[in-house]
Amino acid sequence: MNQEEIINKIATCVEFGKVNKAAPYPPAMKGEDGADEYTKHALEMGVKPIDILNDALISAMDRVGEKFSQKKIFVPQMLISAKAMGAAMEHLKPFFSSGEVKRKGKFIIGTVAGDLHDIGKNLVAMIVEGAGWEVIDLGVDVKSAKFIQAINDNPGAIVGLSALLTTTMESMKNIVADIKRDCPGVKLVIGGAPVSEDFKNEIGADAYSPDPQKAVVLLNSMVA
Amino acid sequence: MLLADLPRKFSSDVGLLNISSENILKGMGMTKPDADEYLRALIEQSIEGCKLLARPCIGFTIVDNPEIDLTNRQLGLNDEVFNTGKIVTSFLKKSESIVVFACTIGHDVELLAKQQMRNNESLEGLITDLIGSELVESLVDYFHDYIESELIKSQIKVSNRFSPGYCGWPVSEQHKLFSVLAKNNCGINVTSSALMLPVKSVSGLIGLGKNIRKLDYKCQLCTSIKCTLRTNSK
Repeated sequence: MNQEEIINKIATCVEFGKVNKAAPYPPAMKGEDGADEYTKHALEMGVKPIDILNDALISAMDRVGEKFSQKKIFVPQMLISAKAMGAAMEHLKPFFSSGEVKRKGKFIIGTVAGDLHDIGKNLVAMIVEGAGWEVIDLGVDVKSAKFIQAINDNPGAIVGLSALLTTTMESMKNIVADIKRDCPGVKLVIGGAPVSEDFKNEIGADAYSPDPQKAVVLLNSMVA
Repeated sequence: MLLADLPRKFSSDVGLLNISSENILKGMGMTKPDADEYLRALIEQSIEGCKLLARPCIGFTIVDNPEIDLTNRQLGLNDEVFNTGKIVTSFLKKSESIVVFACTIGHDVELLAKQQMRNNESLEGLITDLIGSELVESLVDYFHDYIESELIKSQIKVSNRFSPGYCGWPVSEQHKLFSVLAKNNCGINVTSSALMLPVKSVSGLIGLGKNIRKLDYKCQLCTSIKCTLRTNSK
């Protein structure tokens, strides 16, 4: 197998959610190697980690995100793809630590104070990570102080705020104001069922993303 | 007092809770034809596992003669004044009594979901989380139906149920709601951000009265015009 072939194999495994040989999903690939084995093999073959990241993982997750935006696949398939990507990423971790492979930037994400809903936030975190970003997930029910602390600990990071409850939109508004006051210049992206482009303008956030794929496009444009 | 002979705290048999795999698929934005055999089997298996972990508990109290202030959009129960907002206050305006309730399925389903997420089993964790939400919603449905069936004998009707955080009623009012309930209600604690722990808990109000009505929920009543959850149903 040459470099192009193994890159394609990894990308296929990520796109269709084949984590490793033992994984039963997808049924059509049962018993075959998965993202885990192919990535290990690729590194042993001497394929550069940056090529695995860009040409296999990011491109595969990009296709996954596009298919999700177009409603050709749904949350479960996206999660399985993210799991396959995670299995491949495990092999690349040492190269991130050594600095041989660099990520596009840091993305701090959390569900705002007063809201415990984390599914949408987790999906965005997974897709953004799959697009080559380092994600710092602050969890749910996150207050201004925790966001601000994370921003101070990670200079240059972009921040994502999520909300599901209409009543926590007020909390989002307050957190945006607090961050803009204490950390001027930090870019803020908002998302979640009740929020909108108009609400983004109203509260002074920098961008609104209706879905995970749009979040990636926005983030990439902010560092371009 | 209505329902005077009912205990104010009771456990439900988890077998009475009715959840279907279709609802779990819906929670993931899917319908049955969208799901393959693998996913359907995973959901069915997870439902059975979660039912074994659920510990349903319902606690409630009934306050007679609520003070309903339509002008200020407030509801007075005992010494507490709730800022229930326009929608909730309006729905409850004909109440002769108010049921204040909180129920939970306990911590274990939530803990399993978290454990699965930590173990990089995001899909399994998501499904468990959705099943937990469905179980607690089913528990509230069971309670709501139970109250309704008991009261119908006395020609008393029930309203829709309303929870802090929805229909314009601030989630911060959760503290007031729990101050009306008995202490240690089913072991549910309220955080400083007014969220309930265990997470798979639901609290709220139900109006009772001879002239009250239960209506289909209408998104058009909500002020969040651009909410992506909004439906076009009239």
